[in-house]
Amino acid sequence: MAALSSQFGDLVEIKKQLTVIIALCRERGLMHSVKWASELAFALDPLPLNELPPPPPFTEEDAQDLDAYSLAKSFFDLKEYDRAAYFLRGCRSQKAYFLYMYSRYLSGEKKKDDETVDSLGPLEKGQVKNESLRELRVELSKKHKARELDGFGLYLYGVVLRKLDLLKEAIDVFVEATHCLPLHWGAWLELCNLVENKEMLKSMSFPDTWMKDFFLAHIYTEMQMIEEALQKYQSLINVGFSKSTYIISQIAVAYHNIRDIDKALSMFNELREQDPYRIENMDTFSNLLYVRTMKPELSYLAHNLCDIDKYRVETCCVIGNYYSLRSQHEKAALYFQRALKLNPRCLGAWTLMGHEYMEMKNTSAAIQAYRHAIEVNKRDYRAWYGLGQTYEILKMPFYCLYYYRRAHQLRPNDSRMLVALGECYEKLNQLVEATKCYWRAYSVGDVERMALVKLAKLHEQLNESDQAAQCYVIYIKEIFECGELMEQVELSTAFRYLGQYYFKNKQYDDASICAQRCCNYNDAREEGKSLLRQISQVRGQGETSSSDLSLPFIFGPLSAKNTPVRRMSPLNLSSVTP
Amino acid sequence: MASVHESLYFNPMMTNGVVHANVFGVKDWVTPYKITVLMLLDEMTISTSITLLDRRRLNKLILPLLQSPDMTLSELIKTVEDSCPQLAYTVHLRLQLMADGELKDMEHFFDMLPSPFNETESEAHKTSVVGLFMRHMVLAYNKLSFSQVYKLYTALQQYYQSYERKDSPAAEPAEDTDMELTNTEELGGKMEKEELDLTPSDDEVSTRGPLSQKQAEYFLAQQAYLLKNDENKALDPAALQKELNNMLKFNPDFAEAHYLSYLNSMRVQDIFNSTDSLLHYFDRLILPGGDSKSNGDEGCGRSLRYAALNLAALHCRFGHYQQAELALQEAIRIAQESNDHVCLQHCLSWLYLLEQMKGSDSTLTEHAVKMAVHFCLPYLASLGIQSLVQQGAVGGKTANKLMDALKDTDLLHWKHSLSELIDVSIAQKTAIWRMYGKSTMALQQAQVLLSMNSLEPVNLGVQQNNSEAFAVALCHLSELHAEQGLFAAASEILKHLRERFPPHSQHAKLWMLCDQKIQFDRAMNDGKYHMADSLVVGIAALSKTEGLYRKALVLKARNQTTEAYKVLQRLLLYCEKIKGTEMTIRVMLSLAELHWSSSCHAVALPLLLRSLAVSREYHLQYLASECILHLAFSQLMLGIPEQALNILHMAIESILAHGALLDKGRAMLLVAKCQIVTASSEPSKQQKTQALEVAVQNLEEAGTYFTKVDCKERVRDIYYLQARLYHSLGKTAERNKCAMLFRQLNQELPSQGVPLITRL
Repeated sequence: MAALSSQFGDLVEIKKQLTVIIALCRERGLMHSVKWASELAFALDPLPLNELPPPPPFTEEDAQDLDAYSLAKSFFDLKEYDRAAYFLRGCRSQKAYFLYMYSRYLSGEKKKDDETVDSLGPLEKGQVKNESLRELRVELSKKHKARELDGFGLYLYGVVLRKLDLLKEAIDVFVEATHCLPLHWGAWLELCNLVENKEMLKSMSFPDTWMKDFFLAHIYTEMQMIEEALQKYQSLINVGFSKSTYIISQIAVAYHNIRDIDKALSMFNELREQDPYRIENMDTFSNLLYVRTMKPELSYLAHNLCDIDKYRVETCCVIGNYYSLRSQHEKAALYFQRALKLNPRCLGAWTLMGHEYMEMKNTSAAIQAYRHAIEVNKRDYRAWYGLGQTYEILKMPFYCLYYYRRAHQLRPNDSRMLVALGECYEKLNQLVEATKCYWRAYSVGDVERMALVKLAKLHEQLNESDQAAQCYVIYIKEIFECGELMEQVELSTAFRYLGQYYFKNKQYDDASICAQRCCNYNDAREEGKSLLRQISQVRGQGETSSSDLSLPFIFGPLSAKNTPVRRMSPLNLSSVTP
Repeated sequence: MASVHESLYFNPMMTNGVVHANVFGVKDWVTPYKITVLMLLDEMTISTSITLLDRRRLNKLILPLLQSPDMTLSELIKTVEDSCPQLAYTVHLRLQLMADGELKDMEHFFDMLPSPFNETESEAHKTSVVGLFMRHMVLAYNKLSFSQVYKLYTALQQYYQSYERKDSPAAEPAEDTDMELTNTEELGGKMEKEELDLTPSDDEVSTRGPLSQKQAEYFLAQQAYLLKNDENKALDPAALQKELNNMLKFNPDFAEAHYLSYLNSMRVQDIFNSTDSLLHYFDRLILPGGDSKSNGDEGCGRSLRYAALNLAALHCRFGHYQQAELALQEAIRIAQESNDHVCLQHCLSWLYLLEQMKGSDSTLTEHAVKMAVHFCLPYLASLGIQSLVQQGAVGGKTANKLMDALKDTDLLHWKHSLSELIDVSIAQKTAIWRMYGKSTMALQQAQVLLSMNSLEPVNLGVQQNNSEAFAVALCHLSELHAEQGLFAAASEILKHLRERFPPHSQHAKLWMLCDQKIQFDRAMNDGKYHMADSLVVGIAALSKTEGLYRKALVLKARNQTTEAYKVLQRLLLYCEKIKGTEMTIRVMLSLAELHWSSSCHAVALPLLLRSLAVSREYHLQYLASECILHLAFSQLMLGIPEQALNILHMAIESILAHGALLDKGRAMLLVAKCQIVTASSEPSKQQKTQALEVAVQNLEEAGTYFTKVDCKERVRDIYYLQARLYHSLGKTAERNKCAMLFRQLNQELPSQGVPLITRL
């Protein structure tokens, strides 16, 4: 942490650097990097006039190319890339050269998109490629070998390599670009998409600047290493970036990923306050509102976004969520389709559309949608899970096992997949496997708190009464610790079972406590009473200590959760795991 | 604005949320290759100077040209040149003119294409293959937009120029198709070379043009057919997978490709990929066809059932029987819910297969057969009968009933021309005859199968011949040849098997086991026990019981009696548990032999009698004669040679008729031994001499048998006996000769511990 704060010690210096890089990026038409850097610069205090950094040095070559550059830049800004490239072709300066190459690249990309629409048939569609990539690569690699590329040139070379699917080379070039020009966020961002796992990340060497912390935090979020990411972001906030909307949005997304809904919601609300016209990440926000069924908020968000720009993917997703929450699934599906039309590689929309079709009982369409989502990204666990659910609804428990397993592989610590797997195994009468799943679901932290009850019931079926009782005890304990008394049905069954269990084991005190508890619930009242009667009968035969019966009332909830555990102590919990 | 709005609501690719693969009904489109083919067709109709023979060759060429994936121009011209060089030249010239000309040449060409509608007498009648192709092309061409036409023309130019460059040796060979795009003036050829060196993979991909829907379908159908019928002719697994991945990358909706990928993964026993592809295929298939709105739900449910069924089949093939059963239960449940009897029937036949794997009785199968007949599913019915026959044969049903049943199914097969099942049936007959010990009949049946022409139309130059039935028949054939000492023939057959069923394929285990068994037998005959021992491991890997049995044999031959006894006892228990009758009898015989080596001939008798009874009960005639042989030997050793000779007469006939050479030799040797012993009790000297001479003859015969199978030890024994006999007959010359031969062999062979007398 000390190192971090020392790096960030001079916020003024950082601000200066940001100002410089903004100008540089703008000159080269790298608008996303400009946006990122400006957002960050905005979060820092403004500089006084005398502190403002001088404009970048103007070389002889720059001066020569100035007119051609200005003309080409205006064409570039108007998306006339070929024209821009034409006027830049003879320029010698770095800036003009980059713009020249970049406009050639963009022109190729644009033509590729146009071609795709105009292609001859579905099988040929994939054959359309950016024809200029190979030429660009040849020229850039020549320059690269001669070490004539600056940081921006390296970045462009990396992009070209990535587009040609030469990922290994691309990574090397991007790393070089970050060393050469650490302030350019675009190169870091490309690396985020290319680095696949932790080991890969560890094996790479990055320049030791404050940008590295932003990069690491970003990539941790991508790789679902949420704890580390949050830590990084918190420290960034501590050193003075507390106003950055970028950081706030990243934190919100991170909380969303670990399903810490409350914190995520509060972060998003803060974000909305600071940047009310922001559309990015709002689909994530709407997902959270959806999960919490906050109808008015979602409605407000949807209308607000629709006012800002209704032809954005995020807007369509938010509106889709809104309709979904209102159970107007046809309309919801329509809006997700619209989002997909705007961006066919929008993964979230495919999955969400699958959910909508599920709601509409259109299973085949749902399967299609989920499959599309998987095609876009094989690691989308929600789509795998959705497929599993679809087949489960079609009453094919064995068939859906495969899908749940895939989902589980992707999210090994998510209890929902484990519970789903357990349910399937239960349906297939593979009780041992089912117990394994439920136990694992409980161990990784059960979200819905159903795993234990299911586990207990399974143990009941398997005639393993000790384990069953134990599960119920833990379950009751957890519920009382949370202080939520929502799942009364399951609580009553738990007490009912425990009462019988203790009665059989002749632990009459505990049995009567449980029986008393049963009487609190409507569905178990009769049984509780009859159990109490039985207990008093047995006691009446053995010893006349009916006065004990009043004791449990004093114990209250505390004893209910403590006593059984003490009794259970000889049984080791780990024995439950088969 | 309104138009934008509409376009958002209307998505041609989606109806009811389902994306259709074939959006615009475009199955085919114009490519430079197809233009060239069109030119060829055009030339063929115009030109009058083509000889009849050439024309016939060209006509044969047309269909493959239309169906195959796009070729490069050099390939195409070469193909045409083979049939008619003159025409190839004309086409080349026309293409050159068009490519070197202007866009209008191409437009003109399509205008001038002889319209199949106008000419009634034209070869390109509008419903003919050629006519349809032409119409498709003209239609596809007319549909092209402005920019597409230009793109097509540049593609054509490129197509031609790449050929030109390859053709002229002066040009740099490294310059390839794609380099056309690069501005050659700007960059030196050196740079291009370097570029090519850097990305060889890119180049490889780009040489093959994209497949049209039609070509892709044809490709899939062809490969699937080859996979089913003659795997070796299909693309090898890696290449095929690459091709499929390529296809799927560009068109993920092409569900059939996923199925082929599943089949392909099965070839290499890759469970992960095959499961993935199978499920993917059914996920894609579930979309109901656009036209079947009335039974859309039905179609969806149907594919679900078959999805579960296929999953069961997959697990079954990988040997996950429990998983298979679960999947099958699911399929059955869904099929029952929707009253799909046909699917249920398929499930039932899988179910009894699974039950059989677990070794339960045949009631389920019988039931399945009855139901299949009821629902008119001849394939399933006769499949059921065949598996019933198999169970019956192992379970000792009488032969006439089995053969009757097989005959009935054969009637069914021929009636419905189920050629696959005919093969299976013949292979089964081979196996049954072999089991009964009628080697001649088995041989005949195997030959019938091999020389039979398949009923299916010969397609793509392959006959259906890589089924399991063929593998089984060929294995039997090679074993039968090996038994008769025709080792060269046997290894020839095995070589063929190895080619036809490469080691990674599904039925390769059959011939592998067969090969090792033959080698083992040879090694044992030759007395090379260390070699036999090394083969045991391989056999055990393929078949556990067989491996154990062979191990016991090696131990026995090495006089490690106790170990051999232990192994055999274990094996006996196991075989009785799994009801492996043949093996049980063999084990009992080996046990009896062990008793002999410790001179407990009386103890061996009950064992032998029991095995005789069992083999008679199960109609295993050959094993029964083997038992008799053993019994006779025991009796001989117990001093009742007359009795031994008596029962030998029962067995000798069938052994000489059907037996392996080794067994024949052993039988003759035993006869001779008995004769020698009985001769000593003959009253008159003349009779004695006569009897001995007969014995000598029999020994001679046994000797020839043993020599044929390289059984030197036994040959040595024969020489010894012969020498002794000649000695007592007073034929000194012959005696000396035999003695000399014996001495030669004796020096050659290490002396084994087993005394000559205690061996059969």
